Amino acid sequence: MADATLHHGHGDTGSVKELWNGGKSPFRLGYGKVMMWYFLISDTFTFASFLIAYAALRFAQADNWPNPAEVFSSIPLDIFHGVSAPLVFVSFMTFLLILSSWTMVRAVQEGYRMNKDGVVKYLIPTIICGILFIFCQYLEWTHLIHDGMTPTTATATTKITNFGQLFFVITGFHGMHVLGGVVLNIWLAVSAANGRFDKVGHYEMVEKIGLYWHFVDLVWVYVFLCFYLL
Amino acid sequence: MNFEVPSEAHLHWNENEYNEGKKSVMKTIIILSIVTVIEVGAAMVYDKIYPTGGGPKMWLNLFMAVMSVVKVVYIMGIFMHVNHETGWFKRTILLPFLFLIWAIIAFAVEGGSWHAMRELLNVF
Repeated sequence: MADATLHHGHGDTGSVKELWNGGKSPFRLGYGKVMMWYFLISDTFTFASFLIAYAALRFAQADNWPNPAEVFSSIPLDIFHGVSAPLVFVSFMTFLLILSSWTMVRAVQEGYRMNKDGVVKYLIPTIICGILFIFCQYLEWTHLIHDGMTPTTATATTKITNFGQLFFVITGFHGMHVLGGVVLNIWLAVSAANGRFDKVGHYEMVEKIGLYWHFVDLVWVYVFLCFYLL
Repeated sequence: MNFEVPSEAHLHWNENEYNEGKKSVMKTIIILSIVTVIEVGAAMVYDKIYPTGGGPKMWLNLFMAVMSVVKVVYIMGIFMHVNHETGWFKRTILLPFLFLIWAIIAFAVEGGSWHAMRELLNVF
């Protein structure tokens, strides 16, 4: 019975023979999960290339590099206009992602229990945190562009155009990942609520999308480090 | 032949595993929050004491880098449960990261060399 179809399919419909030429899964893991990890490793290298380029350009212009506490010194909301509060807004964004990582992992755990309502209950705050994060990024970008920092221009505090270029490319690329994660999570919540994964017999899809979501949080740790803390 | 279904065990937890998992995740989120608060606090204190830079900036940067590694270890280990994967799968995930160590060192050196050449070539 080497070509037996996995009786749960693990989210995949093909037989074991089709999916794994050796007739069985090498790590005794679902196909989709292994592939999600390999995608994340390749994505790690994309982000790492950006951040290493940032490091090289920063080293090359070490005497001229702007001070992040000056560049990100305000909260981009009208009621905080003129208040100097370096790092406060971006710390709030960081906590949004940490919080959403926690709700995501709770959703995965509820999936292990086959608890449909639990999965949906924890996916909703995850989606809300993701949307709030993107909205915060929109506010911050608008504020910085309004101040004159764009991918092609620098202000008196950002000093060099390289800073704006790197900032918008890297946080933009990360923001696209968050947006993608929000779309996936919405699909996931709707599918779970419709009983799709109860029919499949397991909630591995929650785990796979969860891996992606944690990766987005993990990348933010380094974006946060490079642009705001160092 | 008895065919073993991949990762069947980890997809269905009993009550005990669930409670254990819930606890370890709670512990992790608290650690991540504390580390982030310390990082941001350190950055703010530094900015208050040295508004124009200088001082022990190198040590602060080293501290921030180490704290970020701590956060990544917790996110990957617990949230992405790398800690509980089988040995060789763990290795296929972690070994590629060795290339990054090379890349970071190589491009830091490269950036330093551009910096040294700046006075000669005036390209930036």
